[in-house]
Amino acid sequence: MVREHTEKVKPPRALFVPFPYGHALGRPNDPELQHRVLKAALDLLAAPAGPVLSDFPDGAEADVEPPAPTQASAVPVAASTPDDPAMETTQMRQYHEQWLATSCGRTAFGLSGIPATRFRGVIRFLQSFAAGEDADMPERPAELPLASFIRYCADDVKSLYYEGRMAMKPTSAGDEIARWFWGETASGQLLRRVKDRLDAADDPRWKAAAFGVAR
Amino acid sequence: MPRLDQLSPMARNTLLTFPARVNDGAPFVRPAKPLSACRVVIVTTAGLHRRDDRAFGPGEQTYRVIAADTPAAEIVQSHTSLGFDRTAIMRDLNVSFPIDRLRELAARGVVGGLGPNNYSFMGALRDVPRLETETGPEVGRRLRDEGVDVALITPT
Repeated sequence: MVREHTEKVKPPRALFVPFPYGHALGRPNDPELQHRVLKAALDLLAAPAGPVLSDFPDGAEADVEPPAPTQASAVPVAASTPDDPAMETTQMRQYHEQWLATSCGRTAFGLSGIPATRFRGVIRFLQSFAAGEDADMPERPAELPLASFIRYCADDVKSLYYEGRMAMKPTSAGDEIARWFWGETASGQLLRRVKDRLDAADDPRWKAAAFGVAR
Repeated sequence: MPRLDQLSPMARNTLLTFPARVNDGAPFVRPAKPLSACRVVIVTTAGLHRRDDRAFGPGEQTYRVIAADTPAAEIVQSHTSLGFDRTAIMRDLNVSFPIDRLRELAARGVVGGLGPNNYSFMGALRDVPRLETETGPEVGRRLRDEGVDVALITPT
């Protein structure tokens, strides 16, 4: 929530934190900074009257992460990218297993409901869809619209790659990982094509899904 | 969250034209007891939920319950907007849902304790009539019934 919106909504107590989107408590794995943010928020309970809108004093980590993520449309595609996303996904799964081993099982992967061991099939499905075919998967729950299912599949592809990349290169910044995914991977190019087909549809739900797959 | 002057002109314009509701009616109640006696929970708009719970759809105005003892590996996020850097929460749940930090504060006696449940709403909501009249008040009642004194609201 940007400061200008908080000024209108006027919750009883609000702390404005000048961090990038996705970094509400400051930085991942920085308990000291997270505790300072929490203390600044909880200190507002002592205010005699409200609404209170206070500013957290520390600056953003502008040197590490941009304030908003870099989108696919701003990332040039490398002169040569792998051309088989299914093969590439199989390779990424090995790194993702390393991620799971070090994260105590925490993973963003799982929204599609399809296990990583069967993700080659998901990639083939996304390829068929991007090619304009009448594609679907038997695993899609009947009540879940196709566009939503595609969005979850795309989210799981990203989670597999992003977390796998963090296992390969633990110090990679989020922006660096986004540039790698959209610029250098076969699956990044596949998701650009999936987005193009969704975006070309008249159905607003497809267009909304496109906005979540790639921008 | 970023300052407007850090964003691209297009992102800045989108935010400036967003119809954020002007609200002059928020009640202000001073805590009746010291923080060290208060029961605290997290209410997040990061679209988090238990792995076995139903994922949020875009614009959904419902909520999910995340019990205080839910292991981090069982919490996932179906608010997967490209508008924020997801690697932060992939690396550390606490960057949006500071449950470990609150546990530490409780262990140190800074806060009195944690409530039995945390609550989660979807992010990026543009229309919120059901949240205002139904699901928001419902969570408020649940917090009251669960003896919660302080709700820490965290966005993505």
